[in-house]
Amino acid sequence: MLAGISILCFAASYSAALVLEISRLFFRSGVRGAILLAFAGAGLLAHTLFLAYRAQTTSAAPLSSEFDWYLVAAWALAAMYVYWTFSHPRTAVGLFALPLVLGLIALAEFLAKREPFPTSQASQVWGAVHGIFLLLGVITVLVGFVAGLMHLVHSYQLKHKLRPVQGLQLPSLEWLERINTRAVFVAAAMLAVGFLSGVVLNLVNRRQDSLESVPWNDPVIWSSGVLLAWQLAAAAFSVLYRPARQGRKVAYLTIASFVCLAIAMGVWLSSPSSHAPARPAAAKPGSNAEFGMRIMEPRVAPANMLASAAFHPSSFLLHPFNRP
Amino acid sequence: MKLQMLGCSHRQSSVAIRERLAFSPAQAEAALDDFRTRFPEVEAVLLSTCNRVEVYTAAEDPATGPTHQDLAEFLARFHGINVYDIFDELFERTGEDAVRHLFMVASSLDSMVLGEPQIVSQVKQAYDLALGRRATGPLTNQIFQAALRVGKRVASETSINEKRISIPSVAVADFAKQIFERFDDKRVLVIGAGEMGEETLRYLQDEGARDVTVVNRSFERARALAERWQGRAMPWEQLGEALAAADLVIGTTGATEPIISLADYRRIEPERYQRDLFLLDLAIPRDFDPAIGDCLGVYLYTIDDLQEACERNRQERDKELPKALKIIEDETARFMAELNHYATGPIIKRLRQGWQQPKEDELRRLFNRLPGLADRDRQEIRQSFDRLINKLLHPPLESLRDEARHGIPHGLLDAIKRLFQLKD
Repeated sequence: MLAGISILCFAASYSAALVLEISRLFFRSGVRGAILLAFAGAGLLAHTLFLAYRAQTTSAAPLSSEFDWYLVAAWALAAMYVYWTFSHPRTAVGLFALPLVLGLIALAEFLAKREPFPTSQASQVWGAVHGIFLLLGVITVLVGFVAGLMHLVHSYQLKHKLRPVQGLQLPSLEWLERINTRAVFVAAAMLAVGFLSGVVLNLVNRRQDSLESVPWNDPVIWSSGVLLAWQLAAAAFSVLYRPARQGRKVAYLTIASFVCLAIAMGVWLSSPSSHAPARPAAAKPGSNAEFGMRIMEPRVAPANMLASAAFHPSSFLLHPFNRP
Repeated sequence: MKLQMLGCSHRQSSVAIRERLAFSPAQAEAALDDFRTRFPEVEAVLLSTCNRVEVYTAAEDPATGPTHQDLAEFLARFHGINVYDIFDELFERTGEDAVRHLFMVASSLDSMVLGEPQIVSQVKQAYDLALGRRATGPLTNQIFQAALRVGKRVASETSINEKRISIPSVAVADFAKQIFERFDDKRVLVIGAGEMGEETLRYLQDEGARDVTVVNRSFERARALAERWQGRAMPWEQLGEALAAADLVIGTTGATEPIISLADYRRIEPERYQRDLFLLDLAIPRDFDPAIGDCLGVYLYTIDDLQEACERNRQERDKELPKALKIIEDETARFMAELNHYATGPIIKRLRQGWQQPKEDELRRLFNRLPGLADRDRQEIRQSFDRLINKLLHPPLESLRDEARHGIPHGLLDAIKRLFQLKD
């Protein structure tokens, strides 16, 4: 039964919840809260079961590939949204959080064809630390972005004495400011640990002359470095310049962090990287060694199939081996 | 059955009269005991809030119930005042009107601030107090329990108590709480000693505000106000210092010019590090230069902004009012039907009892003639007689129930009494 759960199941549930969140802006309803929570809860349940099933059936899931990585990020954000909606049913957090959740799911689906991250016994611990902390860092940046956006909208409304928009009830500025400030520091710490553990992982792989080491000029490494540098600068700015910890300035910082993250993700997606090659069909014999990549056992396509896929790329894209 | 209410409220009476007639909980207990001594057959509940003093009474027998004059004298005597000083201030509701009035009160539709939530608990406290003094009975139990249910229904099915309409409550609930999550760690600065500022302080303290500073040109007045709110007074010369430290500022002075200009604010701005500042300008003319509202982290609201929000809330409440009134009407009609049906109870009881005796006589005669009947057969015959009585009584009882929907069916009750020779 679990195998029957697809991305479409929870993406559709979250979409329905988003539509209901948007409907807050147009009319009042006594039953909407319960229906909304039911959709969001059903989506989260399906999402959880999907990831659990993958963890059981795939050797290194849930963080073994970009596909899993983005799905776990979406799951964490969705879980926070469901918790918040349950405890504060009148606030319209979903209007800001659900588009991000759906965006992450869409990104995961888009990256489903990419190969899993390389893994080996020697680098398992460092690889796990690297993956988990980068994931936590990105989730924190996303949470900060949602809080920052809400802070700006809310402070604009209050500053300009605008009539409250029906259904757009937001948390207090003080609460949003606190979340923003924490997001700046926590994201910096998480990304620092994630990045440094990645450096250690690469050094370990290089010392062992592993095929999985990544060149230092890999786009994922330098763009992650830039993201970390920005996050550390933002945290340092907050420590040294007191107004940056208060009011709209901290909201600007978290939104800027999200912009940096988006740019970094753009680089990850658009540039060839050893972390996860974009098109396995285009991989030439020996390219695995070059990028230090190992295709995981259940997803290895026979050589003759790879060859035929290289001849007819569309046939490979449609092949079940490409589906997670 | 006699149900009545006598009292005064903010609609008819001044604060001076309401103050003279108000009951503390201890006084209410003593008054209820006194009332029961004077009218032992009458149920009573005493509702005393800052906006109303109302005595609800109910008697099975209208003849034993107190008159308007009796209740007015009771109130006057308890408070040691001349009944003629208050007689014209009191109003009375009886029967269905009394029920409707209590439902309106419990739903806060008769409150000074429409939709204020405290009244439901005040009605409950009044009922509990009367219950504790054994002053209630079947009628008052029914009506007060129904009133509490109606109050909750109006609150849950309409948004009438969600929108605030007094300036201080809007300032705190609709604006201050949008900016601050909590108030127990915030510094509140009151400039001046206006009434509105004090009222706002009351709401802020309800939300947990503890740190209150008062600045006034007259240090003595500042100190007096600060003492009332467990705060501290600061001399007028330290206004800038107090402003730099404050999170919420309430301006209520009678100054003819702004007391804080933009230049004044700019001087203390660096000390605030752009921390959020909620400025509530309740003074006319204004206490703060409107340009201060453009500074970073400053949220400045004038009395005009608040009045606009109050009016908006009032309009939204008014939209909900017909829905709330419909609930009151439905519930009143339902309650009165139940109550009227309840009033027919003694007649129905006597009617049933009147038929029991002939039934028993006939059964005894029959069983004497048929001594060989088994117990089971006797039981069957007895049940048949019971069914027959129920079937015979069904049409008159249904007629009574139908008539009770429109009031106590006195005519029908009299007819039944005469037809079946039921004696009181």
